[in-house]
Amino acid sequence: MGDSILDMYLYETNTLLEQLDGILLAAEEADTFSEDSVNEIFRIMHTIKGSSAMMEFSSLMTVAHRIEDLFFLIREKGMDVVPEQTRPALFDMLFQAVDFFRGEIEKVENDEPLSQSIDHIVNKINSLIDKIKGNPESPAATPAAPAASEAPAPAAAPAEMTAVNQAYLFGVHVFFDEGSGMENLRAFMLTNSIKDYCSDFVCVPENAETDPATSDIIADQGFQIWFRTAEDRDMAMPAVKNGGSVREYQAVEAAKPAPAGEPAPVESSQSAKEAAPAPAKEAASKAAPTPAAGQQHAKESLISVNLSKLDQLLAVVSEIVITESMVTSSPDLRGLRLDNFTKSARDLRKLTDDLQDVSMSLRMVPVSGTFQKMNRIVRDMSKKLGKRAKLTLIGEDTEVDKTIVDAIGDPIMHIVRNSMDHGLEENEADRVAVGKDPVGEVILSARHTGSEVIIEIKDDGQGVDTQAVLNKAIRQGLASPDHEYSQKEILNFLMMPGFSTNTEVTEYSGRGVGMDVVKKNVADVGGTVSITSEWGKGMTTTLKIPLTMAIMDGMEVSVGDSMFTIPINSIQSSLKVSAKDVIHDPAQGEMVKIRDNFYPIIRAKELFCMEQGCDNIEEGILMWVESGEHSYCLFVDELLGEQQIVVKPLPSYINSFNVKNFGITGCSILGDGSISIILDVINVYTAAHNIY
Amino acid sequence: MAKTEELMFATEAQIDEYTDQLPEIATDKYLIFSSDGLMYGIKAELVKDINTDYNITYLPRVPNYVRGVINLRGQIVPIVDIRLRLGKPPRDSFCCVVVNVDGNEVGILVDMVEQMVDVPLDTILPVPTNSGQAMVSGMCTLPDGHTMLELDCELLLHD
Repeated sequence: MGDSILDMYLYETNTLLEQLDGILLAAEEADTFSEDSVNEIFRIMHTIKGSSAMMEFSSLMTVAHRIEDLFFLIREKGMDVVPEQTRPALFDMLFQAVDFFRGEIEKVENDEPLSQSIDHIVNKINSLIDKIKGNPESPAATPAAPAASEAPAPAAAPAEMTAVNQAYLFGVHVFFDEGSGMENLRAFMLTNSIKDYCSDFVCVPENAETDPATSDIIADQGFQIWFRTAEDRDMAMPAVKNGGSVREYQAVEAAKPAPAGEPAPVESSQSAKEAAPAPAKEAASKAAPTPAAGQQHAKESLISVNLSKLDQLLAVVSEIVITESMVTSSPDLRGLRLDNFTKSARDLRKLTDDLQDVSMSLRMVPVSGTFQKMNRIVRDMSKKLGKRAKLTLIGEDTEVDKTIVDAIGDPIMHIVRNSMDHGLEENEADRVAVGKDPVGEVILSARHTGSEVIIEIKDDGQGVDTQAVLNKAIRQGLASPDHEYSQKEILNFLMMPGFSTNTEVTEYSGRGVGMDVVKKNVADVGGTVSITSEWGKGMTTTLKIPLTMAIMDGMEVSVGDSMFTIPINSIQSSLKVSAKDVIHDPAQGEMVKIRDNFYPIIRAKELFCMEQGCDNIEEGILMWVESGEHSYCLFVDELLGEQQIVVKPLPSYINSFNVKNFGITGCSILGDGSISIILDVINVYTAAHNIY
Repeated sequence: MAKTEELMFATEAQIDEYTDQLPEIATDKYLIFSSDGLMYGIKAELVKDINTDYNITYLPRVPNYVRGVINLRGQIVPIVDIRLRLGKPPRDSFCCVVVNVDGNEVGILVDMVEQMVDVPLDTILPVPTNSGQAMVSGMCTLPDGHTMLELDCELLLHD
């Protein structure tokens, strides 16, 4: 009972944290919280507080409580209550808090004691609350801007800025799209188009068109254009509005040193009225859709079901399918003419097919959850490493089996980290020099092809230096120095155990437990990893994974009275050979020549120590199979035909005898109830090699 | 009010009567089967299935006492021949007792399933020497005079 409550708590909190992560990332992008997301965060914190209090996790409760307080303030007074300059601190604090929650939840899951030292994070929140509270002169808190005291401005009055020139007091503060690149040139183009409307203005920074270094300043702090009068500014507004890549702009006014005697303030506040709502609306419309997209899947899953129940269902359903075919093709029916029975049997077949499809689809989940987590990794690493990078997700809706989603999370994370750490160039100048966008890009895409899902992690960084990889491989004894290696072979060294090109160990990667672990994890779910790279253009890592581990296409072959299944995607072809085609080597090995290449022959009967089966090579058939680097011919008795099979894992008792090392990965139940053993082409090869 | 009280007393008395009739002796149901002339017992609650109609699929590269796997209602169940496991000569056994050991279902090939008995727990005695029958965790005398050896299923699977 207690466990089920704890399970619920963990599930709920984890879901909320994931949701929160999504909202935060979207909000940081927009540099503000929309009203919806403020409410959402408030609600999330409230729920976490409540459920943590119920479970008596006081540290979680306290932190959630303080954040709730903070968002209560923001909710009451609007996002403007948080000054521009404290916003990064706010976002950082929130991300830290999410990490803190995650860490604590993990401790709860592992039955470890919770950390008691929550002071640093609580202090951070408190200081933020103080900052927000102690900020009464912020524009939203006081209804009127000090300079325009006689004309009360609406709540969204122009923000205060320091003017560069006392004569130019009416400014526009422009921000360009994040990651648009070459901000200085964009600023220059903007000033050019403003010149069509009005020529009397100054800019900050001034020398944008000549000095590329200002690009960063503009990206960070925005670009300011100051006009003499509010009318000038109003005239120039359309240019700003229609300017390329303008993300956000705001009318600003410099505090006036002179007493307010002129009529200008009235007009300015009016112009502000027109100008100010626009950016606000823009920001809101920008911020709103992004979190909504992130939450899409959280809302789709209406109930949560224990995975083991789904497994059970799938087992029962596949059993029904088999039983159904046993009933309808029962030998007792032979020779009988049963029109009604045949019709009903056909209906039943259709229904069981549907049932199977539905129960399969229950286990399918979109990869978006895994993909969204990468947003966070890219953000954290780009801050830490000082490399600007953006993550583009393509095909997040692609659905794969739940077990596979769980299994590919770590490999994808590792590859994304590799791309960020080693893939993208150290300095943005290097990127600009070869004509690339200074902001690096990592593209994460998923798509279906028939029975496989293909996941690509692509970066536009420097690519793999094949010579360096080869040298390193030779140094480590993985490659022989006097052998010519193809590009593909060299890239494969990256996935060998203990290989890491980085000489330094960074926080994120370079420990030498890298791509080989990725390869192993992916292989565990029946997938393959391949790397392609072009020097200077970046690197692409492709994961090919079967849609579901539960079903695969296999070729049934027989040896004696045993049946074996060979995965269809590793079969090249089948061939009959005559005894004179077989070439013998001194060590009793047998080989056969196919299309100018020699391939070893492995006799299944001998490998599996079977009593029955063909010995004469002319009576049986050779299955030419290939997987990874290995290609060989497996000698079996007979080819029975292609079949879609439901993969059943071997009982753990059988696995304890290490039959996996002999290429036996599982079994499947055929239509007549008999069992066929599924072979793993790679392990059959290594097993045969170890024996001979 | 009085009536309720009466009823309550009556119920209590009945319960006493009921428990008096059944003296508290903890018993366990055991399934008795024979293999190579010896009687073995397995706790009945562990037994999932008794099967005589099965088709063993040979599994390569496992010890000889693992005869293979069968398809038990869609589940793959390994089959252990208890004679071979105990180093006795093989015989065509045709009765398979499927037991649940630590969540794993395993079929045991035996000569014949004999009967089900209620065995009082305190009559199960420890095996006097460990040099005697292997894989036996206890023994007891049955009402019909035979001696039952309690099979230790875990030892059967893991040495």
